[in-house]
Amino acid sequence: MSYEYIKFGKEEREFREKIEEISGENVFSCYQCGKCSAGCMFSDKMDRTVNQQIHRIQMGQKEKVLAANTHWICASCLTCSVRCPRDIDVAAIMEAIREYILREEPEKIIVSELPKEVLERLPNIALVGNFRKMTG
Amino acid sequence: MVQYSYFPGCNLKTNAKGFEKSAVAVSKKLNAELVEIPNWNCCGTVHTMTSDNLMKRIAPVRVLSRSRKHIEELEDSPNEVATLCSMCNSTLKIVNKEVKVDEDKLSKINYQLEEDEETYAEDMEVKHFLEILRDSVGYKNIAKKVIKELKGIKVVPYYGCMLLHPEEAKIDDEEMPSVLEYLMESLGAEVIFSPLFKFCCGSYHIVDDETIVDSQVSKILQDVRVKGANAMVVACPLCAYNLDYQQKKLIKQTGEKNPIPIFYFSQLMAIAMGEPIEINHFEDHQIDPRKLLKELKLEG
Ligand code: SF4
Ligand code: SF4
Repeated sequence: MSYEYIKFGKEEREFREKIEEISGENVFSCYQCGKCSAGCMFSDKMDRTVNQQIHRIQMGQKEKVLAANTHWICASCLTCSVRCPRDIDVAAIMEAIREYILREEPEKIIVSELPKEVLERLPNIALVGNFRKMTG
Repeated sequence: MVQYSYFPGCNLKTNAKGFEKSAVAVSKKLNAELVEIPNWNCCGTVHTMTSDNLMKRIAPVRVLSRSRKHIEELEDSPNEVATLCSMCNSTLKIVNKEVKVDEDKLSKINYQLEEDEETYAEDMEVKHFLEILRDSVGYKNIAKKVIKELKGIKVVPYYGCMLLHPEEAKIDDEEMPSVLEYLMESLGAEVIFSPLFKFCCGSYHIVDDETIVDSQVSKILQDVRVKGANAMVVACPLCAYNLDYQQKKLIKQTGEKNPIPIFYFSQLMAIAMGEPIEINHFEDHQIDPRKLLKELKLEG
């Protein structure tokens, strides 16, 4: 891996610190074993795996972290969090990335654009759960 | 009669009426009656994993405080709020543990609640009805109430995520749970293991991208079929919806000939205990379980 990959400017450091603040986790605890991604049932739909995202936060790759679809595909099943050998709440880090984005741009989905039929048919827990994850 | 202060949550009043009605009916038979909290509010469904957002924690603490008050009106009631929906269960359990250890969080939340003359009481616990069945009622006492053994039902227990994760909320071993297995065996059903017992159904992605759910649901159902099961048993209204509704859609697309009905555990209990079939609201299911029950002569 090239050292150009590592970015430690002010912006990158602040990004990492914000993710750590929101999640309450220390991203440097991660030793990149990959167990979180191995057990994630959505890895096949993610353009970057969960541990890659954590590695990129460690390396200050803010833009790349934010551009991945990983945290939006994550369904908060928490399997990674119960399995991490370093006791990292990995799902909370995914939530922190979502929150970081949503606190600036609060509408990952636009609720008013959902068809009435869908709103009436879907279970309340799906709607409330989704809005809590996809809107700020 | 032992009575439990019961928190239904929103879905048991809408999509999952059969879950609630069957559970309440069997709870009375088992001397562990679920009595609804009179003035409950939505718990917020998903627990916030952010460390800096108290707003999202107020609703579940309010539920705990109202339940505590409700308990004073009940008979022989332990200081426990009983839940059925596994998402509510998880949200309430996590917040309950958080406020027990974080005085600062609790005092700020209580400040909000005091406006409505409510306070959280520290002696509250949250119990899923499955925990009550396992730990307080006992499988033996459940088996004693069975008047119609579920012969011919080959069922895969599907736990989903929220009954087993996170550590603070799990009701059983997270990698090798057994409560649904023992419960189904005590009803006389044949239990079939699927390694995808907690392979996430896609959850709330049904709202923003149903292809995610379709892909998860097809994998889960494929395994259930390969294993030779004819039913699945669940405890979460969202798992149930995704597995049932999306299955119907997928069957239309693929022409699959082997539909798998999705039961709530309490519906199978109600059938085995001879409750009237109507309480299960099977008409709300997309894959109608009555077809299988009829074949097995279990519907009457
Ligand atoms: S399981 Fe934990 S230690 Fe291993 S890569 Fe994932 S976050 Fe890092
Ligand atoms: S919580 Fe998210 S990242 Fe972790 S295993 Fe589940 S879907 Fe994957």
